Amino acid sequence: MNHFARNLLAMSLLSLALPPVQAEVAVIVNPGSAKAPTQGEVANIFLGKDKSMRGVDQKDWNSTKEKFYAGVASKSETQLKSYWSGLVFTGKGQPLPSEAGDAEVVTKVAAEPDAIGYVDSSAVNSSVKVLFTLP
Amino acid sequence: MHKLNLVGVAICLASNSAVALDQGDYRLNGFGTAAISRVAGAQDAKGYGISGQTTDSWRGDQLSKLGGQFTYGVTDQLAATVQTVAKPEQDDWRLQLEWAYLAYSINDQLTVRAGRLRPNAFMFSETLDVGYSYPWLRLPDEVYSQMPISNYEGADVLYNLPTSLGTVALQASYGQAVNRNIFIHALDDRLDADYKKLLTGSVSLATESLGTFRYSYTESTLSVDHSDEFKGKFMSLGHQFDDGAWVTNAEVINRRSPISEHDAFYIMVGHHFGDFLPHVTYAQHDESDAGRDSSWAFGLNYSVNANITLKSEYKRVESTNHYNGSFVPAYNTSEPTFDGDIVSIGADFVF
Repeated sequence: MNHFARNLLAMSLLSLALPPVQAEVAVIVNPGSAKAPTQGEVANIFLGKDKSMRGVDQKDWNSTKEKFYAGVASKSETQLKSYWSGLVFTGKGQPLPSEAGDAEVVTKVAAEPDAIGYVDSSAVNSSVKVLFTLP
Repeated sequence: MHKLNLVGVAICLASNSAVALDQGDYRLNGFGTAAISRVAGAQDAKGYGISGQTTDSWRGDQLSKLGGQFTYGVTDQLAATVQTVAKPEQDDWRLQLEWAYLAYSINDQLTVRAGRLRPNAFMFSETLDVGYSYPWLRLPDEVYSQMPISNYEGADVLYNLPTSLGTVALQASYGQAVNRNIFIHALDDRLDADYKKLLTGSVSLATESLGTFRYSYTESTLSVDHSDEFKGKFMSLGHQFDDGAWVTNAEVINRRSPISEHDAFYIMVGHHFGDFLPHVTYAQHDESDAGRDSSWAFGLNYSVNANITLKSEYKRVESTNHYNGSFVPAYNTSEPTFDGDIVSIGADFVF
């Protein structure tokens, strides 16, 4: 009993010390999409350099957005803002349209044939196709 | 006639626009810099900097500025943009109309703009006032003092092409900038200048892992203080890199006219440590048959959040042959030396 209690205590301490399970970021497209861009091409779409697909961005800076931009474009929130500032104030680009939350991004991508988005992998359902995931 | 053809092509190719907003959509964006700067130890100079405004007392009126931009989607392909910037010119604050243009997106890759635009002469020419878009508080004075005008009236064409090497961006512009005041350090005065037949072409390649390479060529006929017209040429070759850890910026420029020839460059290296970015820059400027000014600058930036960056910089400038470079000479000795220590502290922001 004492042994069990000690184990339980150790386990609960361990679970406190460990970060929560890391969710993956899924890059999603419409199931009918004929295009399957590579990671580099996805970066270009979300940086506004490639208009062959309609990128749907996440509105707020969250861990999914952070992982996505770090993963495909090696950009932090500040670097991304600086990048867009350079385009916005020279009239060379406007940030992509965005949706507030995973469910909204999934709905948007499911509704538009040439849309591409990224969400927490737990939000993926059968209405969209996963292109690849980022750890 | 050409215009009509262009519109015809535009209607045929119209699809998702590269730059324009949806019809009726608008964007309001702002940017600014709040900073103070001072030069110490420059006994033979009255001031330093691109417009000679940095003096031996702490002043906020060289680096500080506030800008606002409004873009409106007239149609899905046509957008109107106006950008005004409040910034100091000599001892007065002025509200300048820096950009005012119509942009027509012919297709995903091609955009034509007309109105008041900025010449894409140097690497940071188009974002000169948006300090947030570059790492320094003071753009390297040695190079950016060579860029005489901030805008012109005319038209440009932007073309973007994604390739396997990276994104190629071509830009060509033509226009004129008349009745502009250009600051002459040696005179401590602004002279009236007319730039006509102002032609700029630039090409850049943004690669995935090797950064962005850029080249531009500018030429213009010039008349300064109602002089006879003469021809001026500018060239710039630059490179930018930021992989999230290392940051580098380098640019070499040449400016040539029958009056003088200038060669200048800078090279900057920095490294991100979390929200901190320490960086160091060497810059050098030579004027033919005159002399050289060069500097080392050490900076530390701190990113407060995605809208604000705090910056501090220490810059040591030295020169040869009694050459004043970016200093405004005081003429209180026949054998002047131009060197000094410049400290700048402030914040850049976007909203």
